[in-house]
Amino acid sequence: MESSVQQKIIQDLLPQKFGRKGKLWVAGLLFFCALGLAAYIHQLSKGLVVTAMRDYASWGIYISNFVFFVAISLVGSLISAVLKLSNVQWSTPLTRIAEIIAIAAITFAALIIIVDMGRPERFYNLFLHGRLQSPIIWDVIVITTYFIISILFLYFPLLPDFNLMLHTEKKQQLPFYKFYRFFGGFWKNTAKQIKVNKRAINLMAITIIPVAFSIHTVTSWLFATTYRPGWDSTNFGAYFISGAFLVGAGGVVIAMYVLRRAYSLDKYITFYHFDRIGKILVMLALIYLYFNVNEFLVPAFKMKKAEEEHLMGLFNGEYAGIFWFAITSSMLLPILILVFRKGRRPLPAFIAGSLVVVGSWFKRYLIVTPTLLHPFLPMHDVPSDYLRYFPSWEEWAIAIGSLAGMLLIVTLFARIIPIIPIQETITEIEKHEKV
Amino acid sequence: MRKYNYILLITILVGLAGHVSYSQTPKNDLNLSLGYYNDNNHFQYLKANAKTKIDRKFQMVPGISLTFYLGSESPENLLGRAISDDKGDAVVFIPASIKAAWDKSAKHSFTVVSANTPLYDQTKATADVTRAKIKIDTGEDRKITATFLEWKDSAWVPVKGVDMKIAVRRLDADLNVNETATYTTDSLGNVSADFKRDSLPGDEKGNLILVAKTEDNETYGSVSSQKAVPWGTAFKYVSHFDKRTLFARRGRSPIWLELMAYGIIVAVWGVLFYLVMQIRKLKELGVSGA
Repeated sequence: MESSVQQKIIQDLLPQKFGRKGKLWVAGLLFFCALGLAAYIHQLSKGLVVTAMRDYASWGIYISNFVFFVAISLVGSLISAVLKLSNVQWSTPLTRIAEIIAIAAITFAALIIIVDMGRPERFYNLFLHGRLQSPIIWDVIVITTYFIISILFLYFPLLPDFNLMLHTEKKQQLPFYKFYRFFGGFWKNTAKQIKVNKRAINLMAITIIPVAFSIHTVTSWLFATTYRPGWDSTNFGAYFISGAFLVGAGGVVIAMYVLRRAYSLDKYITFYHFDRIGKILVMLALIYLYFNVNEFLVPAFKMKKAEEEHLMGLFNGEYAGIFWFAITSSMLLPILILVFRKGRRPLPAFIAGSLVVVGSWFKRYLIVTPTLLHPFLPMHDVPSDYLRYFPSWEEWAIAIGSLAGMLLIVTLFARIIPIIPIQETITEIEKHEKV
Repeated sequence: MRKYNYILLITILVGLAGHVSYSQTPKNDLNLSLGYYNDNNHFQYLKANAKTKIDRKFQMVPGISLTFYLGSESPENLLGRAISDDKGDAVVFIPASIKAAWDKSAKHSFTVVSANTPLYDQTKATADVTRAKIKIDTGEDRKITATFLEWKDSAWVPVKGVDMKIAVRRLDADLNVNETATYTTDSLGNVSADFKRDSLPGDEKGNLILVAKTEDNETYGSVSSQKAVPWGTAFKYVSHFDKRTLFARRGRSPIWLELMAYGIIVAVWGVLFYLVMQIRKLKELGVSGA
């Protein structure tokens, strides 16, 4: 490859300064983060009583958010590991976006659990006195593991890019020059280094898949090991993982579209990529739809008394609006849009991805709350405010703040590191030229 | 000025209308009942119940203040005050301070008076009681004899024709000692029952508590007596909490779970450690390569 083409790719893919819109976007996210933080400080000083959670709905939108974050974080393993091990070449420009989303999501999954604790200063007891028999401990272990492996999975493929950035003509003008030198200054692009790096990435790609499956299976077991209407299911692990891959892929489509427009990456994230990821989204939506049919049709056919109230609440009761919105938005509409070639163009794909993500958030809300409001053994003379749940302003502020925090991490990563792997892109173009 | 006069007039009219409508709110009827209890010949207390009828259904009245008297309602006869609970019940123990008045007579009359509230008028209920007690004796072959006695002419005398239950105390209720539900006292005030509940778990020594009682008797109220007998099987609590089970405490998780979990954790974190070491190796290679 000609050196000028290489330089052009490097120049195109180098992290860019935020423009006016970018700065506004960051300011907006910071505002919501600050609002969430203020609400959390208020919750800390007054206690969890400021939330709408009571003895029935003891898990509210914090846990819905937690499940959502864990779900979306799985995209790292889907794009970077599953597609990589399947030798799918077109996924190269998407791997880093997927890993950044994974790290941002898993960070806030861990944080939101602490927010849900009434006494967060006792968090360390979870490690000191945790019971290995408890699915909560399994969750703590797998989240920590997944967080570390995701960071490593972001870091190793970045090493050649650090080297490229440190050797650009305007290297001294790079605002994060010292950062790149600290983390990647030792990379000399020698054959031995490339070999070690490649082996490490392959090992991680193999390791991250079972870890990713564990993280969301264990999250599903937090519910399925609790005997309650709607959760008493052997289908939950597969149901959660299929939903997680779907929402993660939806998140990647949104990020692809936004970053492509913000950084003018039309040459690197092409219609072809949207077409491919669109097809994957259709497949994932169909799989998730299949698991949903299993999850609701079988208990609805039997209609056991305890399940009846819960199911009827979802189908045509107080949650029917959210339920059918979630099903339509996260599965039916995206399938309808993306199944056609024109639907897999960037804008329609972006709309489909957004529908998936929004619908999936509400789907998590429906997994958590309605079940809690319909216990097998209702309390005698239960206070009326236990019977319904609508989040307080503190809960909304914290939930929105955490979502903003996740987006902020993605945005800051996009500012600091190349969101498309530079070295891999060059290598692939060279390969194509040779062919 | 005229405008302000109109406003003042309207305010007064609205206030008056509100007052009239408030004062015309009909009050509900309060049903009060009063019972006397002699528990194990030791504790004597009064229990009043307050309820009302709304939409043809009885509903308990909680939070109403009730005052109890021995005899007529006068300050020197005051036994105590209590507020009705969620079930409409209010309890007052008969205080030792009225012992002199209590000992004077075999028959007593009690009165309970409810407070006058915006929802209920003041209501009164009375209960007339003759002092009585029950004695339990046990013989061979697990035979139980209970004697009902009343205080008459400065002595305890047996009473004929009183319905009694003989039971054994369990956790939440009394279990009849055999299939007979009630017994009636003979001319000696006695009832006899055979204990036919084999293998009932008792306390650590196998003791059971026998109970002989009358309930809501018109003359004597609710009188009961208890006696411990070693007729049960000794109950020894065995905790399974220290066994290695999924629900046991922290250090007692099943071995298979520990092996599996720690095996996976060690394997995965071994890989992570190996990867971190690869970073170190890459650094070294970078230095030697340079």
